[in-house]
Amino acid sequence: MTALLETCGVWQRFGGLVANSDVSISVGRGEIVGLIGPNGAGKSTLFNLIAGVRPPTQGTIWLDGEDITATPATERCRRGIARTFQVVKSFETMTVIDNVIVGALVRTTEMRAARRKAFEVLEFCGLAARADVMASELIPSEKRRLEVARALATEPKLLLLDEVLTGLTPLEAQTGVELVRRVRETGVTVLMVEHVMEIVMPLVDRAIVLDLGKVLVEGKPADVVRDPKVIAAYLGDRHAVGA
Amino acid sequence: MHDVTHAKQRRRDLILAAVFVALAACVPLFVKDVYVQNIMVLTLMYAGLSQSWNILGGYCGQISLGHALYFGLGAYVTAILLTKFDVLPWFGMLTGGIISALIALALGYPTFRLGGHYFAIATIVIAEIAYLLFLNWDWAGAALGIDIMVREDSWAKFQFTRSKLPYFYFALFFAAVAWLVTWWLENSKWGYWWRAVKDNPDAAESLGVVVFKSKMGAGAISAFLTAIGGAFYAMFVSYIDPDAVMSFQFSLLIALPAVLGGIGTLWGPVLGAAVLIPVTELTRSFIGGSGRGVDLIVYGSLIVIVSLTRPDGLLGLFSRKRKKEAVQ
Repeated sequence: MTALLETCGVWQRFGGLVANSDVSISVGRGEIVGLIGPNGAGKSTLFNLIAGVRPPTQGTIWLDGEDITATPATERCRRGIARTFQVVKSFETMTVIDNVIVGALVRTTEMRAARRKAFEVLEFCGLAARADVMASELIPSEKRRLEVARALATEPKLLLLDEVLTGLTPLEAQTGVELVRRVRETGVTVLMVEHVMEIVMPLVDRAIVLDLGKVLVEGKPADVVRDPKVIAAYLGDRHAVGA
Repeated sequence: MHDVTHAKQRRRDLILAAVFVALAACVPLFVKDVYVQNIMVLTLMYAGLSQSWNILGGYCGQISLGHALYFGLGAYVTAILLTKFDVLPWFGMLTGGIISALIALALGYPTFRLGGHYFAIATIVIAEIAYLLFLNWDWAGAALGIDIMVREDSWAKFQFTRSKLPYFYFALFFAAVAWLVTWWLENSKWGYWWRAVKDNPDAAESLGVVVFKSKMGAGAISAFLTAIGGAFYAMFVSYIDPDAVMSFQFSLLIALPAVLGGIGTLWGPVLGAAVLIPVTELTRSFIGGSGRGVDLIVYGSLIVIVSLTRPDGLLGLFSRKRKKEAVQ
């Protein structure tokens, strides 16, 4: 069986800067995969390539056995990739439920069905009580959940989460972790970018560590955190000695 | 349960609009003064025009300051077809609307790639070019304009010599249709797409919204309706020239009621026109005669006061109250 998502030898150059070099990763159906790495490792660049913000300089991206390298973001959403944004991008002049309806309209043009779907997703994400509030009035952790709700309303196969757990209180982060687990239980595959290791490691099935634009290590979370190369990337070579 | 309250709110809007239309239709039974009737016609016309503008400017967030172009096109197409080809103004109106929508699509193709202020500037420039073209286009009457001879009272030719009432009822119909189109679109895929595009195009794209297509759709519908208003205006005043239908002041007058009343809202343009147009007309006729522009000072001050105290528009007065009720 082919993987749900595959990147084959993906490069991204910005002028002289190489943000991703020869990145080949794959994400299997039903997995929760963490994409981690120190700042500037190229996580967000790779994430944006998968989401379809821009085509890679070189290499191909495959979803469900189809080449989506040149497919624009809008069409990728239709094909089943949904994403959240690191800096939240709510539709501020719309209510919470209207935000989610925009997502639901990808699968239906019948307004009642879209509204019903949106409300279900809000219940799933624990935001139903805030349905009629303006998105601008939400607190930061709620806005993160709204991002997830909006993405889920598009009924994705693959959900891309960009640092949804960063900057939350421990309790909020824990709620977030449980939400991601429940999302996976509904059959959605999750690829998440995080740099807070202690939150993601217990959650993900597999971790891919990027450093300096390349895949450094890939494997079970428990193995990855003990890998000397990973420790060196995060803390510097000195700390890796004898690990 | 949630969708029931939403449906109720929408039905309430519809009933409210029907009541307004019914009340407005009765007003001429009591108000016989031609001057006042004239103001009412203009108020309704601008309510409809601003409602049309609001689809593109308010809902979709693409601020156009060149709607005089579509207004003028509607007026010119109707007047030219009628005077040169004897085509009934109803067909002229429709033709003007379709031509305007097509031109909006052709112009939108390059300009909808522009962001924010650059789009607004482009619309001003394009409308100004069209104005200059018509000013120098001999076949279309150039600066002298087109005189529509009014010979008889006729609904077919949409000409009335003695009474302003037919114009009043058409203006009411126009405003009601523009409102109804907005009401319907607001709760459609388009309405949601437009608001998403306005608030955050990147996020909209990630949710499957085809941003460019949304803007094109809004532009075409907005231009079509605006041209219908322009066609009406040509028949109402029965004389047009570039200054009378295509000058920059129309772009402002079309946009202002929506901005003043509440941009991107269903009732904003209606409320804005109901306040702004009578004030414009009254200040002009009572203190405009001084020749010192006092009317414009009053008018300008009003806009400044509203934008300082109610940046969301006059409609904010009502929604704030409603929100308080909801909290209690």
